[in-house]
Amino acid sequence: MEVRQEATMDNLSPEQQQPSNSKHPKPSPLPVDTHSVTQRLQKELMALMMSGDLGVSAFPKGESIFTWIGTIEGGKGTMYEGLSYKLSLQFPLDYPFKPPQVKFETMCFHPNIDQFGNICLDILQDKWSAAYDCRTILLSIQSLLGEPNIESPLNSSAASLWSNKEDYRKMVHKHYAAGETCES
Amino acid sequence: MTVDSISSVCNLGALDSLSEASINEILESWNSFCLITETIVKGDDAKLKTSYLKFQDDVCSLCKYGLRSLVEEHFLLSLQDMLEKHGAPKFWKNFDAYNNVPDPEVDDKNMQEDEVELLLCKALEEISSEKQYQEKCLLTLVNALQLCEASDTSTEGHAVDTEKIFVSKYRLIVSSVLMTTMPRHFTEILHWYFKGRLEELSTIMAGDYEDDNESQDDNHPRNMDIDGTYDQKKIMENKLVRNIGMVVHNLRNLGFTSMTEDAYASAIFLLLKAKVFDLAGDDYRTSVLESIKEWIQAVPLQFLRALLDYLGDSMSYLSPKSTKSPLASTPSSCYQKSGKPSEGIVRWQLRLEYFAYETLQDLRIAKLFEIIVDYPDSAPAIEDLKQCLEYTGQHTKLVDSFISALRYRLLTAGASTNDILHQYVSTIKALRTIDPAGVFLEAVGEPIREYLRGRKDTIKCIVTMLTDGTGGNNSGPGNGDSLLEELNRDEENQESNSLDDDINTDDKQTWIDIQRWEPDPVEADPLKGSRYKRKVDVLGMIVGIIGSKDQLINEYRVMLAEKLLNKTDYDIDTEIRTLELLKIHFGESSMQKCEIMLNDLIDSKRTNTNVKATINQLSQTGGDSREHEASFDILNASVISSNFWPPIQDEDVKLPEAVDRLLSDYAKRFHEIKTPRKLLWKKNLGTVKLELEFEDKTLQFTVTPVHASIIMQFQDQKSWTSKNLAAAIGVPVDTLQKRINFWINKGIVVESSGADSNDHLYTLVDDMADGGKSVTNNEALGADDEAETSVASVEDQLRKEMTVYEKFIIGMLRNVGNMGLERIHNSLKIFCATPPIYDKSIQQLQSFLSGLVAEEKLELRDGTYHIKK
Repeated sequence: MEVRQEATMDNLSPEQQQPSNSKHPKPSPLPVDTHSVTQRLQKELMALMMSGDLGVSAFPKGESIFTWIGTIEGGKGTMYEGLSYKLSLQFPLDYPFKPPQVKFETMCFHPNIDQFGNICLDILQDKWSAAYDCRTILLSIQSLLGEPNIESPLNSSAASLWSNKEDYRKMVHKHYAAGETCES
Repeated sequence: MTVDSISSVCNLGALDSLSEASINEILESWNSFCLITETIVKGDDAKLKTSYLKFQDDVCSLCKYGLRSLVEEHFLLSLQDMLEKHGAPKFWKNFDAYNNVPDPEVDDKNMQEDEVELLLCKALEEISSEKQYQEKCLLTLVNALQLCEASDTSTEGHAVDTEKIFVSKYRLIVSSVLMTTMPRHFTEILHWYFKGRLEELSTIMAGDYEDDNESQDDNHPRNMDIDGTYDQKKIMENKLVRNIGMVVHNLRNLGFTSMTEDAYASAIFLLLKAKVFDLAGDDYRTSVLESIKEWIQAVPLQFLRALLDYLGDSMSYLSPKSTKSPLASTPSSCYQKSGKPSEGIVRWQLRLEYFAYETLQDLRIAKLFEIIVDYPDSAPAIEDLKQCLEYTGQHTKLVDSFISALRYRLLTAGASTNDILHQYVSTIKALRTIDPAGVFLEAVGEPIREYLRGRKDTIKCIVTMLTDGTGGNNSGPGNGDSLLEELNRDEENQESNSLDDDINTDDKQTWIDIQRWEPDPVEADPLKGSRYKRKVDVLGMIVGIIGSKDQLINEYRVMLAEKLLNKTDYDIDTEIRTLELLKIHFGESSMQKCEIMLNDLIDSKRTNTNVKATINQLSQTGGDSREHEASFDILNASVISSNFWPPIQDEDVKLPEAVDRLLSDYAKRFHEIKTPRKLLWKKNLGTVKLELEFEDKTLQFTVTPVHASIIMQFQDQKSWTSKNLAAAIGVPVDTLQKRINFWINKGIVVESSGADSNDHLYTLVDDMADGGKSVTNNEALGADDEAETSVASVEDQLRKEMTVYEKFIIGMLRNVGNMGLERIHNSLKIFCATPPIYDKSIQQLQSFLSGLVAEEKLELRDGTYHIKK
């Protein structure tokens, strides 16, 4: 099933070059079957919940299954160990043909994450495929924390600080603490 | 009035033309008229005759001058005056004696009743004669007036009416005078009177009625024989009725029509009520409605008929009922005689019957709880109640009263769940008779169901009710009997339906159904569908308590598993029968697992013989060990497909080596026969029959394997410390302590505290002399005196099922933050839509969450759940 969808996606991918930053994704030219989208999201949710403790989790924010809140714990042995970051996931109506919008809600000091929480990650943009799901997105983001892509930084100061492990860790914790106080 | 106004106009015109002489004439005539009026009104009969001519002249002359209305009014006024001053006080004086008779003194009242009767008759006759006299006076005046009219043609037209007008005016005066002067106790007197008379009549009639009943089989010849007594009775009855008729007639003449009717109606109703209470009483085993109806026909209606006949005849003053035949007292023949009962009688009959129905209905409704308690025996009472309700339509009264009785008497903490269920079933059956559509049953059943849902053992009790009694042990009066009966009957119904399975039946049935269609009762809740969907099904209503049949089936499965695991033979006929019955109701597919369980047992029986036969063959040819040969006969295995069984409690236990070897040999053989299947022993399950040999006696027990291995250890070593024994058997010490109590209670092992306070010493009792007694006493308890089960209970299963959602709940709380119970429940409902679909109730969720709180995974603060950090 998903393999077939992937094939379709490959055909469609040229149209999706532009980063989906706008709040409201353009309505897809394809007829949208909300029911099947809901079903898929429910399946993903169940799989995510049942997958056990991987340091990532997510759950619909309200009663709509299209808006989720996610939690990522910093991977062991990374600068982010012991910290947990909240994210928001907004699924488009034509999911999984288009990727969800994922943003950090907790302030995160990272070369590929800007001050508004936007994430620069290829699978959330041009490399998106319908074979990915919520769990893979969250896991990718988790691993992105430990292995930033210094080549195309959104936050250049973080990118330049990356080599200095001690200072970098301090900055991460400083931003995290600031975010925490902001939140509360 | 028109006459008056005309004459007054005339008067005005005539006034001027009046001469002195005519004035004198008027005055003279007036004075004379007044004088004569006064005398005749006073009751001087002689004077009436002598002065009649003078009176007439005066009247005529007065009329001539247009003073007719004055004459009329004066005359009536003097009559009224007379009545007020003399007639009425004299009449009422008769009853003064009873003015202050206090009601409660019943004896006194009875004593006076005869007196009252006489007094009333006398007083009524007196006043009636007085009234007659006054009417006569009135007629004199009327005659005089009519004479005047004859001479004077100017006022024609109302000649005929004059008498009528006067009489009616006079009657009005009489009744108003009497009414205004009537003492308050008069109604009571009337009431007493009628009550007394009616009771008298009732006793006469009752004798009559009984006689009649006796002679009913041998009809006319006998009737001739008893004619003598019959006539006597008739005479008495006639006399009585005439007497009453007279009183009623007189009262009516005095203008007490409505009051009289009230009085005898209330007397009749009181009597009827007493009769209903008397007949109905607290016996629910007989139907009383018919006898009440018969009594209504026999007594009050007879009385009324006689009375109405008499009153109808009374105008001509004939003696009533002169031609009454002896047969007339039976209602049917009475109808024949008079052709059709008069409208008045029919109306009375309807009134009385309605009253009787209502009284009986109220009586039965008040006692409905008791009636339903003895339900199958009290069916006649229920049938009565049904008829009453059909007549009165006061079903809501029943519902309200019964619900409050239920709440007060049944749905209390003191009532056992079994009793409540039993009453519930009886209620269903009883109310099904009254109300086949089940509308009221719905209303009545709801509080019971609501209450039962709050009880934890409800499901268990229901399953026991359903299955016990099917066990074929008729020794105990199990509650399940009734339910089994219900199941069986339904089964038969289905069979009979399938018998006439013609092609036409469907059409025919549809047609019959269409013809039978009736609208729902107004009380029906339209939301609950039409009555044909609402067919009353006892089992369905019981399942309705639980909510879903799945829970019931699950509980049954657990109980069945328990039962099957404890079986030593493979005899499962009764279980198969129960299962078949359940299948009819719940469908094949839902009972599939239970069926597999039973099939396991059947297969086990076969496999068991097979395995044992081949092992015996092998051992004979090999001549390996003689020990095994004997041992295999004592071993029977149940092979279960554990996927389909409820989760089974697993507990490690080390069995004695010989037994263990036996088991592994058996398993090996099984594997050879049934490759690739392997046998995994659940060593803690099953039953062991063992015999303990002491020096002086042997004792037999049926126990669990754990108990058996405990006692086996004492075979070689008389005394064990608890730690060592626990190690030898392979169970934790606390388990051992729990289990060994069985043997301690039997007096076979004694416990003493050892050197270490934690380490108890158990010693085998060799000398059974003192322990023997308790053994015989306790033997009946057998292995099941401990409430331990080999199968996980339904609650445990629920917990296991909920664990699936634990991750879900934790994930939800971690991401979304604090959530209340309801929101968690709703979120689960919305988002757990793929398998495993969330289908638990909010109560189940709550208990599960509080379990998580107890495990310190969650925290509950201000009604919201948090992740414990």
